[in-house]
Amino acid sequence: MADSGAMWRPPRTCDDYWSEFRHCKSLWNRFHNYYAHGTSPSCGQWKEDYYSCREWEKNPGPETKDALQQSERNREAEQRKFTPVWDLRRDPPRDWHMPLHQGKPPDSQS
Amino acid sequence: MPPLCQVLSCLFSAVYKDRHFSCEDCDGTVSGGFDATSSQIVLCQNNIHQQSHMNRVVTHELIHAFDHCRAHVDWFNNFKHLACSEIRAANLSGDCSFHNEVSRFNFGLKKHHQECVRGRALRSILAVRKVSREEAEKVVDEVFDTCFNDHAPFGRIPHDKKDAKFAYRDFENRDRGSKVDVYAGYMMPVKRISRLKGGDAPLLFAMWTYNY
Repeated sequence: MADSGAMWRPPRTCDDYWSEFRHCKSLWNRFHNYYAHGTSPSCGQWKEDYYSCREWEKNPGPETKDALQQSERNREAEQRKFTPVWDLRRDPPRDWHMPLHQGKPPDSQS
Repeated sequence: MPPLCQVLSCLFSAVYKDRHFSCEDCDGTVSGGFDATSSQIVLCQNNIHQQSHMNRVVTHELIHAFDHCRAHVDWFNNFKHLACSEIRAANLSGDCSFHNEVSRFNFGLKKHHQECVRGRALRSILAVRKVSREEAEKVVDEVFDTCFNDHAPFGRIPHDKKDAKFAYRDFENRDRGSKVDVYAGYMMPVKRISRLKGGDAPLLFAMWTYNY
């Protein structure tokens, strides 16, 4: 994949980083985080990424690019730091769009 | 096919109202279900009386459908798979929001969301499978950490509309700045709907919101 310095953009716009930071620090998000995880959210990385993003806009350089990419990889790694209980498919089920068999009794889970 | 494409295939697999949803009368107090044999969501029309409830049930069942689409889920023989999808559905659909729990007179704050998710996953398993409570609890415990932290396709627990909006923004920006080679596919999400409308308009898969 082409990835020249001139063509590369940060994974998010600078405004997006800032709005994520503001959202993270908001009262509601702090409440939801405490309700779900029992802790305060950690928001510092969003702010750091915002400043890196602004730095990239003013003065594009490899360190800033690497910092932003690494930050995004870390977020991704956080989402995947568990071993799935199931094997992923390569494609959706073949019968996803097939017509229904009329009259076949369903066996549902709720 | 790289993992990103798998998830995208499921996200862009159109969900058609007339094919993938069925409104039926159900026994007891069940609100809905997902029929894996026909890839169809069943909505219990005699037990859903409010739009907000409908939204939540649709979201819950869509998460099951998403899991069925993206993974080899053995619904009938592997209790871990069933438990995992139920944990995810309870976690990500709004079932366990603070507001909903308070309305059930379940008052709790610190990590109460997790307690609710455990309880509702357990209840769902017991409702559909002949298994003892102890066995169901054991299975839920075994997979809880893994499945509670699996936030696909949202990338976060969508507690409110703002979370949903941000999750969808991530999805819209998925190709930005060589993000494709940074992401491997779990920061994916949803397009907000406000109602299921009449007609044949296909619904983008993985749709979520609650509390319209």
